[in-house]
Amino acid sequence: MTETRRRRLAFLALGALLPLELLVAASLGSVPLPALGVVRSLLAGLGLGTSPLGETGEVILWSVRLPRVLLAALVGGGLALVGAALQSLFRNPLADAGLLGVGPGAALGAVLAVSFGWAHERFLALTLAAGVGAFAALLLIYALAHLGGRPSLQGLLLTGLAVGALAAAATAVLLVAIEEQRVRAVLFWLAGGLEGRGWEHAAIAGTFVLGGGAALGLLARPLDVLSLGEEEAAALSLPVHATRLAVFGLCALIAGPVTAVAGAVPFVGLVAPHALRPLVGPVSRHLLPASFLAGAALVVLADLAARSFGVHVELPLGSVTAFVGAPYFLIALRTQEGRG
Amino acid sequence: MRVAQLTRAVVGIACLASGAAADPPPRVASLNLTSDEVLVDILPPGRLVAVTRWADDPDMSNVAGRVPASAVRLPRADLERLIALAPDLVVVSEFTDADFLHLLDTSSLRHHRLRGLASLDGIREAILELGRVVGSDEAAAGLVRRYDAVLAQLARRLEGTVRPRVLYWADPHTAGTDTPFDALIEAAGGSNVGRELGLRGMVPIAAERAFVADPDVFLVSRGSGAAAALRHHPLLSKARAMGEGRIVEMPNALLVALSHHAATACWRLASLLHPDRVPAEPPAP
Repeated sequence: MTETRRRRLAFLALGALLPLELLVAASLGSVPLPALGVVRSLLAGLGLGTSPLGETGEVILWSVRLPRVLLAALVGGGLALVGAALQSLFRNPLADAGLLGVGPGAALGAVLAVSFGWAHERFLALTLAAGVGAFAALLLIYALAHLGGRPSLQGLLLTGLAVGALAAAATAVLLVAIEEQRVRAVLFWLAGGLEGRGWEHAAIAGTFVLGGGAALGLLARPLDVLSLGEEEAAALSLPVHATRLAVFGLCALIAGPVTAVAGAVPFVGLVAPHALRPLVGPVSRHLLPASFLAGAALVVLADLAARSFGVHVELPLGSVTAFVGAPYFLIALRTQEGRG
Repeated sequence: MRVAQLTRAVVGIACLASGAAADPPPRVASLNLTSDEVLVDILPPGRLVAVTRWADDPDMSNVAGRVPASAVRLPRADLERLIALAPDLVVVSEFTDADFLHLLDTSSLRHHRLRGLASLDGIREAILELGRVVGSDEAAAGLVRRYDAVLAQLARRLEGTVRPRVLYWADPHTAGTDTPFDALIEAAGGSNVGRELGLRGMVPIAAERAFVADPDVFLVSRGSGAAAALRHHPLLSKARAMGEGRIVEMPNALLVALSHHAATACWRLASLLHPDRVPAEPPAP
């Protein structure tokens, strides 16, 4: 099969899988809704016909399930986009959003919001605090990395690791000191999950993921040039430092809000682009959209599993993606070492 | 927002404006154990449509075995199931996060939040307020009369007594001021060591600090493993209270009671701290 044909088939499969998954995920839950009823309700929302779901079904679908399912797609798509971009940037097929250091910053913000009681009193306080934590960590990483002039990629990464470790240490101190009853609230966030998220969370994620994703798409060609190596990119007249920073910044712009609304959802950014590269090829204008679709499909499915299999509590979404992603990562690592 | 939701919201606002909101909610759902315990005692069985899964657990609940069979047991705060139950009021805890409350609002589910449960006065007010909100003022007042009577009689019995210094131990947490445990210990004729140490809230305490504080009594939850942890602790097992066998174990359901059962908890702890003055059982209503 030719590469073009393989790529087309992959896009076709992903393009069919995601809407199907969204429909199934919108239909299944504590109170099952008929799939056809969901479709007709969605059409009714567009002014086409009437919904057969009844008032209760309508409220469940439009207030609870749809925003959650769409948010899952945005979170997965965003993380996969970031993973694809970082894998090209670092020329490492096992890179993902965890390298940015925004996760620990977001966690610190979230724990602060819970320990001061903001999360219990103010709508979106936890999400906003996590977002502020993520961006504060990013600014700190940027400032520290530039103290001695233009940093190398490794310098940026190691600074991110150090700042992340500091934020994680502060988070641990707060978690130990925090009141018992409040710990539970923040544990759900730290473990990753979409319970209790509504349209506002989806709007926040949508703004940054779609906006940042579009901007990353504009950088697809420079990203491909960068993936050849810095010297080669400079020889092709690419402003290497500026491009690198732009990609890094856009990745953080996506990963920060996504982490803020969903907590830690590991491995999605690694698995989706890594699995798709052999199918759609390494070219960013193909890999980025394909990764978005695959990441979205993966998290929609993982979230469905998280809310379907837990009896007394929902399973943490981050655990579900880790159960899938960690074995995949190990296999990929072994394969890469075997090739090396 | 969909037309149906908008209609419900407009009708809700119109009802509020006309005073119809004062009508008691016919169907009430409880999302926390404290309201489970109060509502079981003040609502006719048919009006309580949902309780938490802990309500039937005798280790956690003081109403286990008394919850109406008709009430749905919610394993978690499952918004979809709540919407399907269509309660007229959802009672949530102080620690329910604001994002969940917002989702209740956008789903047109009215909620009432319990607050101020860190003190015995706060518990009294919370019961009365819950009674007002669900339209069972008299029943709630009856619970509070009994609650006050038990506490008042306990206070009389404890007048002039020497207060043992009590350290609540939940390996490694203890209770400072602004906690129900502080209120419990003080009302039961003890002196909270956490308060003495200047602690506030439920906070971890270093074993060395607890040892140096030299409490007269360790208070632990029965079945939590805290008593065994103390007995095997390298330092705290050598504390004076441990040498004298002064570990008081309270049934967990009473120890964590933030409802009218908190008065019984105070009485029971007092009977363990002052067996010469306080009998094991509180006076009959």
